[in-house]
Amino acid sequence: MRTPDVSGAMLPAIRDGSSLHTALDLGYRQVLLERGSLLAMLGPLASAAKQGIAIFVNLDAVEGLAPDAAALAFLATDLGFSGVVSVKPHALRDASRFRLRTVQRIHAIDSTGLETGLNGIVSPAPYAIAIAPAVALPFVMPAIRAVTNIPVWGTGFVASMEQAVNVLTAGATIVSSTRVDVWQQFARVPVP
Amino acid sequence: MATRAIVPPVRPRALDGSVKRLEEAFRRIPVAAVIRRGEELPRALASQVPAIFFLRAPAFHLGPLVWAVQAKHKMAFVHIDLIAGLGKDRAGVTFLAREIGVNGIITSHSGLVAAARAERVIAIQRLLLYDDMALPSALSALEHARPDIVEVLPGVIYPLVVDQIRARLPLPIIVGGFVTEPGHRDAAMGRGALAISTSTSALWP
Repeated sequence: MRTPDVSGAMLPAIRDGSSLHTALDLGYRQVLLERGSLLAMLGPLASAAKQGIAIFVNLDAVEGLAPDAAALAFLATDLGFSGVVSVKPHALRDASRFRLRTVQRIHAIDSTGLETGLNGIVSPAPYAIAIAPAVALPFVMPAIRAVTNIPVWGTGFVASMEQAVNVLTAGATIVSSTRVDVWQQFARVPVP
Repeated sequence: MATRAIVPPVRPRALDGSVKRLEEAFRRIPVAAVIRRGEELPRALASQVPAIFFLRAPAFHLGPLVWAVQAKHKMAFVHIDLIAGLGKDRAGVTFLAREIGVNGIITSHSGLVAAARAERVIAIQRLLLYDDMALPSALSALEHARPDIVEVLPGVIYPLVVDQIRARLPLPIIVGGFVTEPGHRDAAMGRGALAISTSTSALWP
């Protein structure tokens, strides 16, 4: 894949043009479009992708896209996005056909839900799995590692630097936060 | 299919009374046992928990399990979203209420809360906290659905959002999801939860 890969442990979760610019101004080279209308911020996203920013999209939560092949082709070919996040196996399979990196989202709500999610890991193996909420990661990492060695991301409810560090310490390679203050602190004190 | 073949116990139809009864029982013993497999049930029946949540039981073999719970003077709740074989719709709720005689249902869906109310069984609505951006809309959905009780999951998030929830919803809260240690239980109870729900049998008193 010629699109840029993730390049650091913090993945700012954005929802509009202003949060995109905040993340880029802080020096981040990667963002996760987690909410909002993709179509309303098409210009800024496309130019960020052109400048080598790795852009991931939450297909299940972003507005303005149909969950079909035409939308995925647009993300991959026209916009040059790096990957997609989804709980839906068919969306991930379609995305991999367009050479998008696929991040399978698994909800860590309780042990039963986690079990269901881990049993449903797609084939071919996703590029990563994203555990939501990230804050549950320390509780669930052993169960995850018992079934797969795929890289783990943590997203959701990361409201402080301390929580972000806990998620990474628990074994995540990427932690995503919606909070600008966490992005700021993380940019100042990079954590290995 | 063991439904009409065995006569289910007569269930009081007064919904308000049964919610009150559950709340009072939780004030004495604030734990609901979560059952994922049939073999976990005997231990829950032998414990003092006042309520049992069935998470994945097969719908059409549920009757005897539910009646065993009620025979022990405990209340039986069925997670309709996760149950195998049953439609996640009004007909499914009606079946659980009338044929099985459950005390209540657990669901994430507001539409099923309304169905439970129509059938006069207790509605426990799950507030699934996996995404901070989704919290405001999830709270609005709960405000409109007005379940009898909210189950907040996972437990580790509860202390982070309890004030936001309380500001919007004056409803009793059960905290569940990865509540596996006494410390998790105490953290939830210390922040005003009515009870915890857990499949960890060591936490069933």
